[in-house]
Amino acid sequence: MTLLTGATDVFAAAGSSGRCIVAFLARRQPVPPGVFGVGERDAIAAVLDALQAEGWCLSVRAMFDPEGGAEPTAFDTGFAHSVDMAGAFEAPSLSSALAGTVRLERAGWSRRFATEWLLGPREFATVGGLGDAAAHDWGFLAFWEWNDAWAAATGSERRDYDAECDVAFAGDVALDIAIAGRHRLDWASSWHHVGIWEAPSLAAIDRAMRGHEDAADFKFTTSRHLVGRRRPLADLIAAD
Amino acid sequence: MSDCIWIHYARPRPHWYGLDEGTKAERLEAWTAVADASSRDGGVRLGRYHVRGQHDFETVEIWRFPDAEAAFRHWSGLAAAGYGEFNAFANNIGLEAEAPR
Repeated sequence: MTLLTGATDVFAAAGSSGRCIVAFLARRQPVPPGVFGVGERDAIAAVLDALQAEGWCLSVRAMFDPEGGAEPTAFDTGFAHSVDMAGAFEAPSLSSALAGTVRLERAGWSRRFATEWLLGPREFATVGGLGDAAAHDWGFLAFWEWNDAWAAATGSERRDYDAECDVAFAGDVALDIAIAGRHRLDWASSWHHVGIWEAPSLAAIDRAMRGHEDAADFKFTTSRHLVGRRRPLADLIAAD
Repeated sequence: MSDCIWIHYARPRPHWYGLDEGTKAERLEAWTAVADASSRDGGVRLGRYHVRGQHDFETVEIWRFPDAEAAFRHWSGLAAAGYGEFNAFANNIGLEAEAPR
């Protein structure tokens, strides 16, 4: 696969794993009595079990540590955003990813949530994330597109920019932030990439963002950022 | 194999308008070659329509592909040929809808 932008000191190309992110931004819907209950919750759980058996990761944590991240989780984002939860799975292929979203929706997910699904192949490998998972229970999702200024820039300008941003990413890692690599979304979205972090605190995320501002990261991107607290997916699905 | 619909919205980026006609023609030829290869790969281009009157984008182009991987190969070819550097875009992928329930 051709990368949209090349590997850097911080990020190594993931090769041709073929694995595909299934990111989701979900808004909980008011549900009349009888529309969503135990039957739907069990049906969603059964689909998740089946997907896991087919090789899916059902949490961002599992992208770093498949065994330690076996429990399906997502990030509770309702306190800061219009979506109630955000998260990401990883499927073995694009086709599996696309079909999996339909299987979940039909099992009852669509009754509970209005969801934007964002799919695409892994480009960069994970960075860090082998430490204490419980101490990294804040999530940060960054969606971005390369803007007109990036598109009009020369190759040399883009390489200089990548090098400046790499300094900021090295600073993120120094803040004890684990980066779940980078995935490419542009084939089926207006976003070009998504990067997801596990962080020790909101303060660490804020400090990291200041580093990216200092590196002029956003001169070449239009970005959307979300923060949330990791919770079991079952709790987020069940919550009223 | 699952039939997929692929919907592509696009508009030229500002610096496209500053290119000389020869450079534009070279780019368009390269992107046409990608589309031709995708057709040989099993893709069917259903049409390209002008939507600027009621959309942020200028055109919408709709393809049917044998599967999601074929749609990705089509887009990867365009991206590698510099398409996204001269066009802003938004893409969608979808499987044929099942009966409502």
